[in-house]
Amino acid sequence: MKKFLSAIAGFFHGESWANYKKTLRYAFYVILHPFDGFWDLTHEKRGSLAAANTITILAVLTHLWDRRFANFMVNNTRWSEFSIWLNTLGILVPLLIWVTANWCVTTLMDGKGRFLQIYMGTAYAFTPYVIIGLPMILLSNVVTKEEGVFYTYFNIFALVWSGFLILCAVLMIHDYSLLKGLVAIIISIVGMAVIMFVVLLFFSLLSDAVMYFVSLYKEILFRME
Amino acid sequence: MKTKRIVTILLLLCLVITSMPLTVPTALAEDDDEWYTYTYSYWKEETASPNAYSVTNTLYGMDIDPEIGNLNNPKGLFCIGNLLFICDTGNNRIIEAYKDEEDGLYKLSRIIYQVNVSTTVADAMQYGDKVDNTLFQPTDIFVKPMTEELRRSYGDYLGDPYIYPEDDSATEQGGDAEPTPTEEPKEDAADETETGDSGESGDGGESGEGGEATPTPTPVPQQGPKKDNVVRKQLDNEMYDLFIADKEHKRVIHCDYNLNVINVVKNPVDDTLPKNYEFKPNKIVADNALRVYAQADGINSGLMEFDQKGEFTGYVGASKVVVSLARKIWRKLQTRAQRNRSTQFVPTEYNNLSLDSKGFIYATISAVDEQDLWAGTATPIRKLNAMGSDILIRNGNSFPIGDLAWSSKLPSVRGASKFTDVIAFENETYACLDMTRGKIFVYDFQGNLLYAFGGIGFTRGRFSQAIAMDNLDEETILVLDTTRGTITEFSMTRYGKMINEALQLYKTGYYDESAKVWNEILQFNGNFELAYVGIGRALLRQEQYKEAMGYFESAHDIENYSKAFQKYREEVVEKYIFYAILALVALIFIPKIIRKIIKVRREIKEA
Repeated sequence: MKKFLSAIAGFFHGESWANYKKTLRYAFYVILHPFDGFWDLTHEKRGSLAAANTITILAVLTHLWDRRFANFMVNNTRWSEFSIWLNTLGILVPLLIWVTANWCVTTLMDGKGRFLQIYMGTAYAFTPYVIIGLPMILLSNVVTKEEGVFYTYFNIFALVWSGFLILCAVLMIHDYSLLKGLVAIIISIVGMAVIMFVVLLFFSLLSDAVMYFVSLYKEILFRME
Repeated sequence: MKTKRIVTILLLLCLVITSMPLTVPTALAEDDDEWYTYTYSYWKEETASPNAYSVTNTLYGMDIDPEIGNLNNPKGLFCIGNLLFICDTGNNRIIEAYKDEEDGLYKLSRIIYQVNVSTTVADAMQYGDKVDNTLFQPTDIFVKPMTEELRRSYGDYLGDPYIYPEDDSATEQGGDAEPTPTEEPKEDAADETETGDSGESGDGGESGEGGEATPTPTPVPQQGPKKDNVVRKQLDNEMYDLFIADKEHKRVIHCDYNLNVINVVKNPVDDTLPKNYEFKPNKIVADNALRVYAQADGINSGLMEFDQKGEFTGYVGASKVVVSLARKIWRKLQTRAQRNRSTQFVPTEYNNLSLDSKGFIYATISAVDEQDLWAGTATPIRKLNAMGSDILIRNGNSFPIGDLAWSSKLPSVRGASKFTDVIAFENETYACLDMTRGKIFVYDFQGNLLYAFGGIGFTRGRFSQAIAMDNLDEETILVLDTTRGTITEFSMTRYGKMINEALQLYKTGYYDESAKVWNEILQFNGNFELAYVGIGRALLRQEQYKEAMGYFESAHDIENYSKAFQKYREEVVEKYIFYAILALVALIFIPKIIRKIIKVRREIKEA
């Protein structure tokens, strides 16, 4: 037991924990100095996947808490149709598709970034959404409808900021010019649509194929009787 | 390891795709076996409601009187007092019946085939090359209660044509056109009423005559007692003037209750009208100044307005044509030929109108674009003021457009609601008749849906093609089914009366009393969001802000919730501001004091 506790204590005093804290704290630097920050994030290895995962999880939690705890004046959630899993996947799946599409596109466009680096950059770009979104949930519960516009505007501001950061991340990670970066993003979005289409097609064909064999099996059973 | 990951991801995707909600609009209450009356919730879902109206009678023409026989394609219905006028369009007649208050049955008072024409209006009654006093497919009738004063004050405008009873037979002229056998008894009967009107006011001895109303096919003996009954009803001050939309004769006839023509509206002349325009009035009303408003075929610039003399004076309530920017750009890109081929921007055409007690015109438009209804820009119901602008209040969760969900695919639901008639009640609620589904939607003065009921079907209270309705009194609605030729009588239930009572109490400022009634309504229908708002408002006025917030949240009333919350916040802040300041002061000063103490101690130690 003592050994276990000391192991935990050791972890929190260990190098990896210190590194984690440092890389997580680096997110604040990134959002204020995006160009510099995203360059160092991958090239100087000042970010970590652990921190990126943390920010992603926080972003998901922010979204869920926003739906759950934001005041009903600004929150039009219909509880009978609310699914926590759907809302979680509503962030994670587009993120995955985005990273995949961007990786595919930038590989063909001389991008320097690797798959995990793109993921890391995108995750770090979520930081403003978290640090503005969380206080806004609290704020929404002490304001009237007229003051509620602050909630709306701050959230929009956070999203715009995050969007800008994603652009910066693409530029810096792949070492692109602005124009090339924008083109890469547009093609990536098209790529996302293509991926979704292919996945849908795949599953519908798969279900057709399964149905074929099922009906074949039934037919055989029928003949054998 | 890697393959495992990929598989999980694919599975997750699968989950997402399968659990995406299908966005096909569904309409639950379409099936016969579902509930009959419903309202819409905040989420625009149909929610069951107790019946606000129940069917108390379904009448065929025969049920009123065997003499009437079957109605043939009736188009119009009008109620006033206890009188009921049915425009039996296909049979070229208007049936006047009354509801006997003693036994609650509908009885025939007379059948109108023609009107009486005097010399002064003979020219106006000319149709073709002869004076025609018959009705030819009358589509609507409007009855206006006239007082002597009103008649006198507009006497100048009306000029001389009004024929008083004693002159009636002397100036009779219309009869020469068609000497039909039914004509003579009708006129005799009319004379009888007049004498009854003036002479036998105190005579109460008609009970014996009422008893002899046996179903004999000859009309003459029957009409005597029945008419007396009617006359007694309207004896004191009211004389009714009739406005008849004689559609295929292309005129609106204004006559008194004894069918003596006073004025005729026909052949409107105006620059805006095409040269060979044929005036075919469908629906009419007349306001207190005896101006006639008509909805006529082929007119799409609003309702036609005629002055007391029957002169066309202009349009009322013309809808503005709003062309979207995208549409404008698209037209710029089109060639001339394409532009000509594409649909013109035609403003919408009204299809019915009615007058409320304050003189505002409620009008319906059925030719609305479904896209506009989705977007909330279409206004199928309008309340027009004297300037002709729409002043209907639309503060509800959804606009008054009838059913909110429809689809072109489901066989039982055929597109959006198409209103064919509207009636306004005394308390500013109004009921709209939806022809596509045979439903009646009742809205309050703020545009909240109170309840909807009816449907297409063969059971009681369902219709095949409901075309017109009117209210006999504030609690009875009559609906005319044109293909079946039936009239369905709906009477308000206790639930409906309670809603009216609560609305009335609220409007007159008795908020606490109205809250009590709303509470009772909630016992009947816990889904009724308006009741929660009603109670919340009363609580708000009683300064019970926290409770009020709860009620407003149940009804999703953000506006009022915000008001209650603001007050509640003030209350809380006032209550705790002292402690908050104390805590703040403590937070600032205690660390300083502690630091000071430590410092002093250290100094003492060092010393």
